Amino acid sequence: MEMRMYFMLIRASIKSRLQYKFNFIFSMLMAMLLNVSEFLMIAFVLLKFNSIQGWSIYEVGYLYSVILLSKTLYRTFASDVHHLEKYLVSGDLDSFFIRPIPILLTLMSQNFFLLIGELLQGTFIILICIQHFHSIGQVDLWIIPITILIILAGSIILFSIGLATSTLGFWLTRVEMLQNLTEDAAMNAVRYPLSLYPNWLKGIFLTILPLGFINYLPALYILKQDVGIWIIGATIMVACLCLWLSLRFWKIGLSRYQSTGS
Amino acid sequence: MLFAMLAKKNYARNLQYRSSHLVHNVASFIFGFVYVSIWIGIGESNSLGEYGVKGMITYVAFNQACLWLTLFITNSLGMEQSVRTGQISLDLMRPVHLFYHLMSKEWGQIFYQFVYKFLPIYFIYFFLFSLQVPQQFSTYFWTAIALILAGYICICINYLIGVVSLWTTESKWLFWVNYAFSMLLSGFFIPVEWLPGVFYQLSMYSPYPYIQYYVTRIYLGYESYSVLLGSVAWCIFFTVLCLAATSIMRKKLEVQGG
Repeated sequence: MEMRMYFMLIRASIKSRLQYKFNFIFSMLMAMLLNVSEFLMIAFVLLKFNSIQGWSIYEVGYLYSVILLSKTLYRTFASDVHHLEKYLVSGDLDSFFIRPIPILLTLMSQNFFLLIGELLQGTFIILICIQHFHSIGQVDLWIIPITILIILAGSIILFSIGLATSTLGFWLTRVEMLQNLTEDAAMNAVRYPLSLYPNWLKGIFLTILPLGFINYLPALYILKQDVGIWIIGATIMVACLCLWLSLRFWKIGLSRYQSTGS
Repeated sequence: MLFAMLAKKNYARNLQYRSSHLVHNVASFIFGFVYVSIWIGIGESNSLGEYGVKGMITYVAFNQACLWLTLFITNSLGMEQSVRTGQISLDLMRPVHLFYHLMSKEWGQIFYQFVYKFLPIYFIYFFLFSLQVPQQFSTYFWTAIALILAGYICICINYLIGVVSLWTTESKWLFWVNYAFSMLLSGFFIPVEWLPGVFYQLSMYSPYPYIQYYVTRIYLGYESYSVLLGSVAWCIFFTVLCLAATSIMRKKLEVQGG
């Protein structure tokens, strides 16, 4: 029943978006351009120098597209979890308390927006990379289901980090700057091999903000065979643990909620 | 006088959020740290031309700090928000030109960001990576001039983005497109001469190298100050565009709120 209402709210959200067709297409194209330029920035460096610490352009492309597709799933299905701050500042979260579905599901259904640009770009890059790995015999076709699995697990990890950061808003109200650190800066860092960073930073990406489990560690198994298949199981377990912890934290935060709006 | 007053007021307004901005500095520091780490990694097995690994670290670190004076200024100088609330109609009625008014305010913002973002971030990099610093006073002087001109070019570009918000609700995307082009073509992460052919040409014929690349090259002592003639030319070009755009928007103004 709750999920039925959640999907009903999502349908309504999509319809409201499509009312403004020009805005919809324009914003989609612009988002795509933004992501392409971000990838080109590192691609140009790799085209000139061939590799970074033994990681080729295709391998870095794989790391990049796994994190991009995970982020796309997270932001598509939980866009306003990232924007909880505006509900806290305006007091609009009040109305969610009287709705017949859980507050988190209501929040997730707000401003549902399929990030087509990111989805197409991420899929395009990952397919080119996989095709290359396959053509040189680096991987078999089983890379496809494993990649889908780690993208799904990755989106759960990103969602959990996003939810935990937003939940801090129940105490701090303003969390945008913090999100810039825990989401934007962290996601930017894990687009590249973690071996580039000093141990303290690597440690952060494997513990407090476990984004290393989304692409780098699985890639060590899939592309380099440096670790065993157990790393895929570990990624799924980390995703489940992060989700459980973030939902617990969300419940605590919600119980502290005090409306700030007028 | 009005310029100084508007800049001062905006600077003072920002002071209220100093502690919050410190968290932002940490994020910015991490971004720069990642880029520096990438170049250190590349430098392990490649020659980095005239820069060398040490020079490249200084190049990227200085560029990262400079972003707070160039690219990370107020989105569309706040015009998008003004159009939404209807405030733009009042701003246009003021006995001062809209461009001058918004530009003056933004210089206050830039000066605040110089003190509370540029300096702290650069000092951390300086101690962490033992960065090279220029030995001659004239280098600091010309770098400062280059930064002021770069800041002015960015103010003009954001003003033009703001003007577009009068005709579309999606002008915020132009801010991000400008951001994307700047990241790619300004030489912020990769020196312009290392860009592939077409992108190198594109960069050379755009204002973007004058926002980051030439500023940092002057600071590192690789470029003569004569290159700033190009910055001045772009400043004049954008000033004319901003004035022309203002006269067009004065003819027909539609606001969304009010």
